[in-house]
Amino acid sequence: MSMLVLGLLFGAVTLLVMFSGMPVAFSLGSVGVLFMAIFMPASSLDTVTQNVYEEMSSITLLSIPLFILKGAAIGRTRAGQDLYAAMHAWMGRIPGGLGIANVFACALFAAMAGSSPATCSAIGSAGIPEMRRRGYSPGFAAGIIAAGGTLGILLPPSVTMILYAVAAEQSLGRLFLAGIGPGVLLVMLFAVWAAVNYRREYRAAKRDFEAVGNASPLLADEHFSMRERFALLPRVLPFLILLTGVMVALYGGFATPSETAGLGSLLALALIAIIYGVWRVRDLAPILSATLKESTMLMFIIGMSLLFSYVMSYLHISQSMAQWIVALALSRWMLLAAILAMVIVMGFFLPPVSIILMTAPIFLPPLKAAGFDLVWFGVVMTIVMEAGLIHPPVGLNLFVIKNIAPDIALGDIIRGVIPFVVLMLLTVVLISAFPSIATALPDLVMGPLAHSH
Amino acid sequence: MSVAERVELPPVPVGLAAAPAGAGIHQHVDPSTPRWLLPLAHALVVVNRGVMVLGMIALVAAALILASSVVTRYFLHASTDWQDEAAVFCLVGATFLCSAFVQAIRGHVGIEAVSSLLPERVNRVRILLVDVGCLAFCAFFAWKSCTLLHEAWSEGQTTSSSWAPPLWIPYLLMSAGMLLLSVQLLVQCAVSANRLRLPRGAR
Repeated sequence: MSMLVLGLLFGAVTLLVMFSGMPVAFSLGSVGVLFMAIFMPASSLDTVTQNVYEEMSSITLLSIPLFILKGAAIGRTRAGQDLYAAMHAWMGRIPGGLGIANVFACALFAAMAGSSPATCSAIGSAGIPEMRRRGYSPGFAAGIIAAGGTLGILLPPSVTMILYAVAAEQSLGRLFLAGIGPGVLLVMLFAVWAAVNYRREYRAAKRDFEAVGNASPLLADEHFSMRERFALLPRVLPFLILLTGVMVALYGGFATPSETAGLGSLLALALIAIIYGVWRVRDLAPILSATLKESTMLMFIIGMSLLFSYVMSYLHISQSMAQWIVALALSRWMLLAAILAMVIVMGFFLPPVSIILMTAPIFLPPLKAAGFDLVWFGVVMTIVMEAGLIHPPVGLNLFVIKNIAPDIALGDIIRGVIPFVVLMLLTVVLISAFPSIATALPDLVMGPLAHSH
Repeated sequence: MSVAERVELPPVPVGLAAAPAGAGIHQHVDPSTPRWLLPLAHALVVVNRGVMVLGMIALVAAALILASSVVTRYFLHASTDWQDEAAVFCLVGATFLCSAFVQAIRGHVGIEAVSSLLPERVNRVRILLVDVGCLAFCAFFAWKSCTLLHEAWSEGQTTSSSWAPPLWIPYLLMSAGMLLLSVQLLVQCAVSANRLRLPRGAR
C-alpha cells in the first residue's frame, strides 16, 4: 500500500471515529490500536500498554494535575471575585477603567490558575453582572471576559505549554518565559480596546441622553475612597505573592517545574484555608474531585494522543507528511501561514492538548528546517489555539460565558468577541515581525539559545 | 438568523468551570439500567466513590511529596531520588483509577457536533455503537495491562532509576483502573441498548 493511500486512510478513519462522538481519548486510542493490528507486527500490540505507561509516566506531564489543583483551589473560592473587586476599586477612575480592570483581573487570575475556562467563570461571574449593571453592552462585557480568560494558556503555568515542551522537546522554563512578553502585549491591546470601545458606548449613551433623556448607568460617576481601596488589598496580596513566589522558585533554580506545581498547589490550599477558611474535608472534597475529573479526562487524552502519534510515526505517516510539506518548498512565511491555518481549522473541533500532540511530529520538522525557533513557534501556536477557544463553532470559553450569563444571546457574545480575535491575530503578526517580543525574556534570564543557524 | 445563533450548546464542555457544579463525587444509577444489572450498577457507584477518595488522597500526597523534595534538597541538602517517581506513581494511579468515575458522569469529552443533527432513534443507535467501541478498546487495554502486570510481577521488574521501585505497583493501578472502566462501560452499553426499546421522546 502506498504511503499516500495509507495516510489518507489513517486520516479518514480518524475523522470518522472522532465525529461519531466517541470521546476524544478513546477515539485516538482505538484508531491507534486498529492500525497497529492491521499494519504493524503482531508483537507491537503486546506493548501498547507499556508504551502508554512509559509516555505518561513523565513527571513533567504529570505536573498537569497539580497545576489544575492549584487553579481549582483558587478558582473555587471567592479569590476571583476579591481580585476583581480590588482591580475595580483601583482602576475605577480611568475612563473605561472597569473594562480594563476586568482584563487585568483575568490576566492575573489566569497566571495563578493556569486554566482558561476557570478564569472565565471566576472573574466573569462577578465581572459580567457588574459591567452590565454599569451600562456596558452585554456583548462587550462577555467579550472582555471570554478573551481575558484565554490568557490562561499563554501566561505561565500553562498546560498547553507543558505539552508543547514535551512534544517539541524544548525547555519548559524557556517556553513559560517566552509566553510572558506576548501575554503582556495582549493584555495591553485588550485594555486599549476596552477603553476605546468604552468611549464609543459612552458617546452613544450621551447622545441618547441628550436626545431622549434616557440616562444610561454608563454616564454615572463612581468613586472609591482610599480607605476602601486599601481594605481590599489584604485578601488579594497573598495570592500575588504566591504567584511571584512560585515564579522565583522556578526561575531561581530552586525547583523543577513539577516541584513548582506541587509547591504551588499546596501553598494555594494553605492560602484558601487561611483567608477563606476552606480547610474542612467537605470544603476540600469538591475542589479535589473537580481536579480529578478534569485532569483524568486530560491525561487520558494525552496518553492516547501519544499512542496515536507513536503509531503514526511507526507507519512513517508523520515523516512522509513532514517531507511532503518540506518538498512543497514554500517560502518561510507561507509555510508558517499554512501551518497556522491548519491549527485554526483543527481548533474548531479539538482541544489544544490533542492538536499539539497529534501535529507536533508533522509540523515541527519542516518549521525547524525553515529555520524557525521552536520556542518562538510554541508561543505563536499557543496564541492561535487561544483564539480557537473563543471563536465559533466550538469556542470553549463562549460556552462557559453562556453558562454564567445565560441571558446574553450567543450571537451577542460572538460579536463582542470578534474584535479580540482580531487583536490576537494582530499579535501573531507582531510577534512574527518582532520575534524578540517572545524570545527576549528567556534569552535574558536563561542565556541565549545556541542556534543551529 | 446568523450562523452564530444556530450554534447548539454542547451538554458538557471541557473544563473545570463546566464540570457539574457541586456534583462532588456523587452519581446516580441510570433509570434505564436493566433490572438484572442493578446490583452491579449500585456496586459500581460505591466502588467509584471509594476510588475517588483514594484519588484525592493520592493527589494531595503527590503535592506533598514534590513540595518536600524542594525542602529536603535546599535545606537539608539530601538527595531527592525517589520523590519524582513516587509522585508519578500517585498521579498515574489517580488518573487510571478515576477514569471509571469520569466515564460514569460522561466526563470524557468527545465531538458531539453530529448528535444534534441526527433523528432521535438513529442517535440512540449511535450512542450504543460508540459505547460498544469504547468498551472494546478499554477491555483490550485492560487485558494487555493485566498481562503487563503479570510479567512485571513474575520477573520482578523494577524501574531503571537508582531507587528502583517495583514496576508492578503502577501496572497494578493501571490494570485495576482499566478493568473498572471496562465494567463501567459494560453497564453503560446495557443502558444504551435498553434505551433503544424506549418509546420516542422518553428519557
